[in-house]
Amino acid sequence: MSISIRHLFGRKPKSNSIAKQRLQLVITQDRSEIDNSTNTRLLYELTEVLAKYYEFSMNSVQMSLKQEGNSYVLVADFPHHGTHNLKGN
Amino acid sequence: MGKVIVVTSGKGGVGKTTSAANLGTALAILGKTVVLVDADIGLRNLDVVLGLENRIVYTSMDVIDKQCELSRALIRDRRTDGLTLLAASQKNYKHHMQPAQMKAICDKLRSTHDYVLVDSPAGIEHGFRNARAGADEAIVVTTPDVSAIRDGDRIIGELQHARISPINLVLNRFSPELIRRGNMLDQEDVIDLLGIALLGIVPEDTGVIASTNRGIPLVYDETSTGAQAYMRIARRLIGQQVPIPDFEQKGLLTNIMNWFTRKS
Repeated sequence: MSISIRHLFGRKPKSNSIAKQRLQLVITQDRSEIDNSTNTRLLYELTEVLAKYYEFSMNSVQMSLKQEGNSYVLVADFPHHGTHNLKGN
Repeated sequence: MGKVIVVTSGKGGVGKTTSAANLGTALAILGKTVVLVDADIGLRNLDVVLGLENRIVYTSMDVIDKQCELSRALIRDRRTDGLTLLAASQKNYKHHMQPAQMKAICDKLRSTHDYVLVDSPAGIEHGFRNARAGADEAIVVTTPDVSAIRDGDRIIGELQHARISPINLVLNRFSPELIRRGNMLDQEDVIDLLGIALLGIVPEDTGVIASTNRGIPLVYDETSTGAQAYMRIARRLIGQQVPIPDFEQKGLLTNIMNWFTRKS
């Protein structure tokens, strides 16, 4: 979030804030004992299924893992561009 | 009954052995009886950092093999009363020692010493499991960089799993200058990521290299910032209230400059 805002103003984010964001993700993954490559494969398969129904840009697909207390929430974002992209319409 | 504290990190090269040697020496300077246990079997280094490498006759392996009594294997550091070293074997006997044997050694040592500091090898394997076997408490040493923090978090998980508590953090090679420029995580970032209590911060001190070259722990040089940092940490370990100084203290001009360049 803070990175994208600063990109808007054309300022390069400081390396320490990038380090913190990367570490938050990697540490959450380590703690959850979910292998990152499993997530990546899952994301590819989900994308394949969803691509049968919707059009979306592969670059916008994102997956994140959040820690909430003792449990982990896996969130996948597939931003598609309105119903006109619905395949078969 | 003394305390057994394992000094560990996960990643190698972050200053575990240097921290163990300096904290052990500092505790002895403060009048405590201390035994430093090198648990890095096959790759021992605590002896050279302490400058005691020429005085090793027996190691912890000889004690386990019943070649000598535990008390005979302890090497007395003649510079400071109350400081001894139990050296590791330099032969690769890694799988020869079992966690229960290390625990037995630690339990015996704690009955005659105020502090037993165990210098753990890097990694989360056999050597680490031996090192933590007899420990009540842990000190996790990390530097403020991505790989050391990530591995530190793994180690913290392993220590929690073994019900070792408290687990305290020593942040080593801290550079206020790099933090000011936004190129190093500060202490709040690191604590936020790792979620354990901060025992102390050791600022980057190039004097460490010369001290290791000579085999004289940094704490003997009272003028060095690293020595002062280790002395403060040792005081906190024995229960004294010693605040962590503000290493990022800066003049008015830098404050104004920072106001313009600070991170959001």
